[in-house]
Amino acid sequence: MQNQDQTDELVAQVNQAIETKTAINITGGGSKAFLGRSQDAQVLNTSAHVGVVNYEPTELVVTVRTGTPMGELNELLRQNGQALPFEPPVLETGTIGGVLACGLSGPARPFAGSARDYVLGMRVINGQGQALRFGGEVMKNVAGYDAARLHVGAFGSLGVLLETSMKVLPLPEAQVTLKHELSKPNDNTALVKMMRQPLPLSAAAIINRSQYIRLSGSDSAVRAAAKTCGGEVVPEGEAFWQSIREINHSFFNDNRPLWRLSVPEFCPAISIDGSTESDWLLDWAGAQRFLKTDADAASIYAAAASVAGHATCYSANRVAGNASLFQPLEGAMMSLQARLRDSFDAHRLFNPGRFHPELDNN
Amino acid sequence: MSLQPAQSDSQPDSTDAGSNGSSQARAIAHKRERYSSALGQLLPIGCILNTPEQLKPYESDGLTVFKKSPLLVVLPETIEQIQAVIKWASSEMVPVVARGAGTGLSGGALPHEDGILLGLAKFNQILELNVEKGFARVQPGVRNLAISDAARSHGLYYAPDPSSQIACTIGGNVAENSGGVHCLKYGLTVHNVLAVTVVTIDGELLQIGSNALDSAGYDLLALLNGSEGMLAVVVEVIVKLLPTPPCAKLVMAAFNSVEDAGNAVGQVIAAGIIPAGLELMDKPAMQAAEAFAQCGYPVDSAALLLCELDGLEEEVSAQIDGVTTVFKSCNVSELRVAESEEERLLLWKGRKSAFPAVGRLAPDYYCIDGTIPRGQLPYVLRRMEQLSAEYQLPIANVFHAGDGNLHPLILFDANVPGETQRTEELGSRILLLCVEVGGTVTGEHGVGVEKINEMCVQFDEASLQQFHAIKVAFDPDSLLNPGKAVPTLQRCAEFGAMHVHRGELPFPELERF
Ligand SMILES: Cc1cc2nc3c(=O)[nH]c(=O)nc-3n(C[C@H](O)[C@H](O)[C@H](O)COP(=O)(O)OP(=O)(O)OC[C@H]3O[C@@H](n4cnc5c(N)ncnc54)[C@H](O)[C@@H]3O)c2cc1C
Repeated sequence: MQNQDQTDELVAQVNQAIETKTAINITGGGSKAFLGRSQDAQVLNTSAHVGVVNYEPTELVVTVRTGTPMGELNELLRQNGQALPFEPPVLETGTIGGVLACGLSGPARPFAGSARDYVLGMRVINGQGQALRFGGEVMKNVAGYDAARLHVGAFGSLGVLLETSMKVLPLPEAQVTLKHELSKPNDNTALVKMMRQPLPLSAAAIINRSQYIRLSGSDSAVRAAAKTCGGEVVPEGEAFWQSIREINHSFFNDNRPLWRLSVPEFCPAISIDGSTESDWLLDWAGAQRFLKTDADAASIYAAAASVAGHATCYSANRVAGNASLFQPLEGAMMSLQARLRDSFDAHRLFNPGRFHPELDNN
Repeated sequence: MSLQPAQSDSQPDSTDAGSNGSSQARAIAHKRERYSSALGQLLPIGCILNTPEQLKPYESDGLTVFKKSPLLVVLPETIEQIQAVIKWASSEMVPVVARGAGTGLSGGALPHEDGILLGLAKFNQILELNVEKGFARVQPGVRNLAISDAARSHGLYYAPDPSSQIACTIGGNVAENSGGVHCLKYGLTVHNVLAVTVVTIDGELLQIGSNALDSAGYDLLALLNGSEGMLAVVVEVIVKLLPTPPCAKLVMAAFNSVEDAGNAVGQVIAAGIIPAGLELMDKPAMQAAEAFAQCGYPVDSAALLLCELDGLEEEVSAQIDGVTTVFKSCNVSELRVAESEEERLLLWKGRKSAFPAVGRLAPDYYCIDGTIPRGQLPYVLRRMEQLSAEYQLPIANVFHAGDGNLHPLILFDANVPGETQRTEELGSRILLLCVEVGGTVTGEHGVGVEKINEMCVQFDEASLQQFHAIKVAFDPDSLLNPGKAVPTLQRCAEFGAMHVHRGELPFPELERF
């Protein structure tokens, strides 16, 4: 893996932007343009800021520069029998910085935890051009506010991510994927029940009438649990989960915009104008639901809010106009988040309009 | 750290205004009266405590060397009352310190002498225990263990289990991002809380998080956990309930040196096994625990590991084979797998009562809470031994070894002149040692007032300033638990000058991550 520290160059670039009062679009591998609207701005590219700063497998911690390609990082960990348990998507050219900035987690998320759960420390450049360190390389650390995790899912709007320390875990000894046919399409009641059982579940999804679960753990435990759960063994199980993680399963092959709804796993089927059962894919046992739809953004946001969830558009380039691509924030919550943005980036330099535009316009 | 209250911290006469004629005491008495009558309009009778006897129990948290009397204590009964109190405090610019059970060990709930203490003890109801959906919705004053107790018969439990779990509250757990002996596998409070409802300094009610796994906008839930009551007051919490593992087994392994035990910890992890808990005690801690709990520890050995494995029976037996093989290759001197549930609980009892047990060895003990990269354990232990000799104060060690969280317990006698000050210095040296090896000054007990100086060493100025800016975004007038957790730059300058003066800070500009 390449090793190159560009901290000074990146800090200089931010400082120059402050001087010239020009906004910055932060990019890594450029793989996530489908999330959020990018504005005309000067590009700050992290993809030369690469390499492992520290990796000691028995410490269960890896520290990497954020431009490091996700695929290379996964491979390094795999060679050491370890992984990032939240199954970050690779998206071909994606970087670890991009995964964290967008807060993306794969199918294991409800069972293993999310991207933010595995972040232990972060180095960032804030809107004053200062390189800051939060958290650290140790498992437990409550010194100061948890500003490291706060950057996960902030879409770069609180700063340029430079370096991150994450907890890693051993790969499971065995995994099996099981398929069940459902009598009712998209019915996740069996999954919700299973979540309350002490089973070594590590993924659970439904596509129409097919329900998929994955079991992970010691060989003996996976075999025992597979017996309890029944169903048909899917021979290419890992490829299936990967296709959901990478958003390239045949379900996603569609011209309509793709939306992600993050909702309580147990909420019943969500009805959105014009959508039919085959337009939905349920991941995370039902807590993450993908929908292909032409419905307008406002009705999707309303539907998500009505079940205490939120929606995100996954097809930035296909939704015209200036509708927000993220569930709009309102009232006191919006003002608080805008003040928080300003506390890191008072000039609103970073990725203006990319995330919640209401945070930039207030 | 400073175990000795600074001059301005002690107010011997603040609760005793009537008998003291000083003008300061009169001013305090006057304020107390004024606040009592204003809050009397907002709260039912009996919810305001303002006599010296009533205030006494609230003068400190679990770190009893710090004591201050608040102007008064309010014990509201409804969320609306909390909102009203905070709105009042905000308009009068009165500091507010929230308090759960007061078991905190860093002075986080230490009252403010010019403010009110907001006790949440009356909020002790589990509002909803949803077995099918796997969550509990609770008030902030609910005790940690009460949640698992209520869920147990349904085959569910709340995972974070601080040793103080019989007493500490979920509100306090969120504020400190508390851990427990099982957090290596099951995570800290932040990993097990789905949502919190908070009252902001404006008196607004906000829900942060939900039963969905993430929320729109910034991850405020991550920020709230561990924020030590400085960003908002938590008035309701939704926690995740997990299925109780059908099988839990405990392996006890004794070693002839602490290094061997530390090495064994790394080897277990290298073997790809993540135990549910992995705890280490050195000889003094083990002997104290044995004397206290009679749990059958091999007291002649130098160090003891307790390694718990849980999950499906098949998984657990595979892992027991794995860890016993590892221990045997690491010079184990005694190895025992608890045969029965009674034996397992008895072996845990020793560990869980280690603090009070060590407390019987000396008139006072002081618990340190640093975290280090695990590989540094042998070095840190050696240095601590030297420091212990240098300061002539014995140290007993209990660690959450799996995640590198140390709890050295310094034994001292506050009645011996100078010992408290030596203890304080020794504690500070240990924390700085943790920072030196790439660790942190607090793994789970929080900064509070206790470790505020050491924060100056762990963080640079710009990062501290960013923390202050975050605080301002929530609480512009700094009324919520002011002065805790994040040092002012001025304080850091004073601390730096003092230590440079004494020549005790060998690495002021060390890179720390
Ligand atoms: C014997 C012993 C063993 C311990 N073991 C552990 C352990 O294993 N792991 C661990 O992590 N800790 C441990 N602790 C420390 C302590 O129990 C925890 O920090 C606990 O979370 C504090 O809870 P509390 O209700 O007592 O909070 P308090 O001490 O009352 O308050 C702690 C902090 O939280 C704030 N706070 C309290 N309630 C709220 C609220 N509703 N909203 C906003 N802020 C609030 C306070 O202002 C203060 O800053 C131990 C303590 C003792 C005495």
